[in-house]
Amino acid sequence: MKIKGFLKDVTGAKRVTAARLDAFAKASSHIEKVDPIAEVVKEWHPGRLEVVVTDVRPASKTAVTVRFERTDGKKMPFFYAGQYLVLDLKIGDAVVSRPYSISSAPCEGRQEPGFAEITVRRSKGDGFVADFINERVRPGDVFTAQVGCGQFYYEPLRDAKHVVALAGGVGITPFAAMAKEVAHGTLDMDLTILYGSVSSDDIVMKEELDAIQSDRVRIVHVLSGDEPGWEGEKGFLTADLIKKYSADDTTYFICGPQAMYTFLREELKKLDIPARRVRFEVFGQAKDITKFPGYPVELKDETFKMTVRRGIHEDVIDAKATESIVTALERAAIRIDTGCRSGECGFCRTKVISGSVYVCPENDGRRAADKDFGYVHACAAYPTSDLTIKIPIE
Amino acid sequence: MKFYKDHYDVIVIGGALAGLSAALMLADKGKDVLVLERHNLPGGLATSFVRGGVEIEATLHEMMSIGEKENRLKVGKFFDDMGVNVDWLPVPEAYHASLPGVEVTLHPGFERFAKEVDETVPGTYQKVLDLLKLCHTVYDSVNELSIHPMSKAKMLMKHEAFVKTAGYSAKEVIDTFELPQKAVDLLAPYWIYVGNPLTTLPFTIYAVLMADYIGYGSKVPKKLSHEMSLKMAERAEEMGVQIEYRQQVEKILVKDGKAYGVRTARGDEIYADYVISSAYPNKVYSSMIEPASEVPEAAVKAVNGRKISLTAFTVFLLLDKPAEELGIKDFNVFHGETMDTDKIFENYLGTGPYNYLTAICLNYANPGCTPEGTCILSITALPRPDGWKQVKAEDYDRVKHETAKATIDTMSEYYGVNLLDHALEVIIETPMTVSHYTGMWNGCVYGYMHCMDDHIVARLQTAEAEGALKHLEFSGAHSISGNGMGPAVTNGRKAAKNVLDSMAAEEATK
Repeated sequence: MKIKGFLKDVTGAKRVTAARLDAFAKASSHIEKVDPIAEVVKEWHPGRLEVVVTDVRPASKTAVTVRFERTDGKKMPFFYAGQYLVLDLKIGDAVVSRPYSISSAPCEGRQEPGFAEITVRRSKGDGFVADFINERVRPGDVFTAQVGCGQFYYEPLRDAKHVVALAGGVGITPFAAMAKEVAHGTLDMDLTILYGSVSSDDIVMKEELDAIQSDRVRIVHVLSGDEPGWEGEKGFLTADLIKKYSADDTTYFICGPQAMYTFLREELKKLDIPARRVRFEVFGQAKDITKFPGYPVELKDETFKMTVRRGIHEDVIDAKATESIVTALERAAIRIDTGCRSGECGFCRTKVISGSVYVCPENDGRRAADKDFGYVHACAAYPTSDLTIKIPIE
Repeated sequence: MKFYKDHYDVIVIGGALAGLSAALMLADKGKDVLVLERHNLPGGLATSFVRGGVEIEATLHEMMSIGEKENRLKVGKFFDDMGVNVDWLPVPEAYHASLPGVEVTLHPGFERFAKEVDETVPGTYQKVLDLLKLCHTVYDSVNELSIHPMSKAKMLMKHEAFVKTAGYSAKEVIDTFELPQKAVDLLAPYWIYVGNPLTTLPFTIYAVLMADYIGYGSKVPKKLSHEMSLKMAERAEEMGVQIEYRQQVEKILVKDGKAYGVRTARGDEIYADYVISSAYPNKVYSSMIEPASEVPEAAVKAVNGRKISLTAFTVFLLLDKPAEELGIKDFNVFHGETMDTDKIFENYLGTGPYNYLTAICLNYANPGCTPEGTCILSITALPRPDGWKQVKAEDYDRVKHETAKATIDTMSEYYGVNLLDHALEVIIETPMTVSHYTGMWNGCVYGYMHCMDDHIVARLQTAEAEGALKHLEFSGAHSISGNGMGPAVTNGRKAAKNVLDSMAAEEATK
């Protein structure tokens, strides 16, 4: 065979070798230290940040809004309205993390000083972290937080221009962020928020929300309780009510308590809405895992021994059948990275080496191959025997 | 608390395909290996993500070098040898070429492929077949020589075609076949899998690509590329490899020109005889070597003498109807406004709109990969980092959406359906996404350009000129075999072999 001539052909390898050495010889001895693409990533996803509380104010009779700024004086990272932050706290002996929807707007994070706010309602006995935030957090307190997680946000290429948000209780928070961002002119959609509360006293962030109503942001309060003098919408967020505020092409965003999800799934079915137009915020950690199908109720009072491997180190801790693996680790002050606590984000991906677990079916967001090899998302997995797990070293 | 042993034989930075392949091979030879991976799962880009309850393939288009159970190719054989049993599904076609004035679907198998080209460009059958056969001859030589190096004289005798084409670009060799341009265009689409225009792409690389893909077809793992990555990681652990996730290595510890350990972002200092780095040399020499005074000047010059190759821009569309109902007929469409690879390469300098797109509908190879009644379409361009390096954080979201919109519009027009009217999910992956999850320099997925002054033959012969420190090996798209998931495995094996050879040599001098 011949390409350009025998001699030229057989010396080709020699030629390319010389070319490479020549390129090295001619190159600069100065190494470029900055990767501009990584720099953009740092501004969007800087990882865990140290933040300080700069304001705590009531958001209703039973809720507070807490404002955070970065301790390094920088602006907040970019994020999308509707996303959450993960706050790490040390409460007693436990080291815990919780996701909270950011109730301030992304544009407020980019001011000087930039901030992010969460709005947390006091629990009715089942959320010691919510109570801690309501009762104990004060300006000057320092935490770590990961700002801007989750998939619950407006995607202009996917969603309709007209958005109807269906909010229940403190589920208003992601929509408060969206409303403020629309009002600021940095989020291009028309937003109608149907906000269900029992009584007007229960409405979270009422003044703040009412103040930003405009031709693009409409807030409709819907009270389910009897309230003398109330002239607004009454009852639940029914199909009829939803229809009344919908445009021809509407995307529905839903955030609220678990019971509301069950109710709304049925109501939305009546409206024959295409699946791509309905977006639920994640379900949240199951309130009572024993109520889920297939849960081995006979084990509910058991406490198991859980061996926790990190690298070559092992600890043995208690793990209750009714508490997720994440909760057991947090009680024992063993750090694990968590995000959504709904089995979706996978931050708490954990290998179950031996023993068995129950995975909450509403919150099983695992990859198929992970299931085959005993990986679980620890926030959605509950021990059903003594077990050994392996988690990343934090 | 003590999380690590006092000492390892080898620390591997990065638990993606190259790092895991190195770990597997070293463990197979009884070495004590630690893999440190920054993410919380293995695989690097060979991974998946879950959105809207559906697991979506993140990057793999089609895996080369696997072959059939009874006739394994290089990578498939390595997996078999290591006990990594991936459930492979065949990809039904080579590609559909959608170029100005041409719409044709081509299939693997040299005769079939040549026949299909001939149906579009009559009279080319024999020439195309001859070209493919030449590719195969070169491919065989590359595979043999990578295992059994030999003298130049012997090489010329036994591997004449390989030797005689080594000094030429793909274009120079293809031109000798005197094919009509239209036929050349049909032989060019895979250029994107190696990322250099035919005018500067070594024919050797082109030959390997065509022989492997067209000769044997490609595969995808049934449970997406996470299946492959996870099975490699699980098998490595079974063989005694310690893998720790969420551990970012910040420093490679060096003394007297020799690597002896690493320090992680958490502050763990871990010691080993050898370090294998999947981090790019750019990153290693600019910020990871401790002390910085140990960075060899030759290494910096070698980094600067090479050219960073392509990054990736992909739009994933989870669609609410089966592919056939949306007019999506092929597994893989290469859709080009042009097939002039120089023009495409030029266009890829920017942030879009891009003039050459690859659309993959995985359902055609893997029907169960999305729920009944839906399908997944990923549309990819592989830009050079240059344009994206100019994008500021505050403009990033706007730029990525503009490019995504243009990308979707182009393919909507091609399929004759507004894809956005059917989108259950729209996910946009950019060079920044790559950088975020893998830390790769400039978000680059292709390592250094396969070009005439960084030719694979020269890479093999001048590895020492890269000036690497002793006991430090590189393995990833930035090492010898370059980009792609098949080559990633080969790169990992090569790094492991270098370590094993060095260990043996040092043992012998003791």
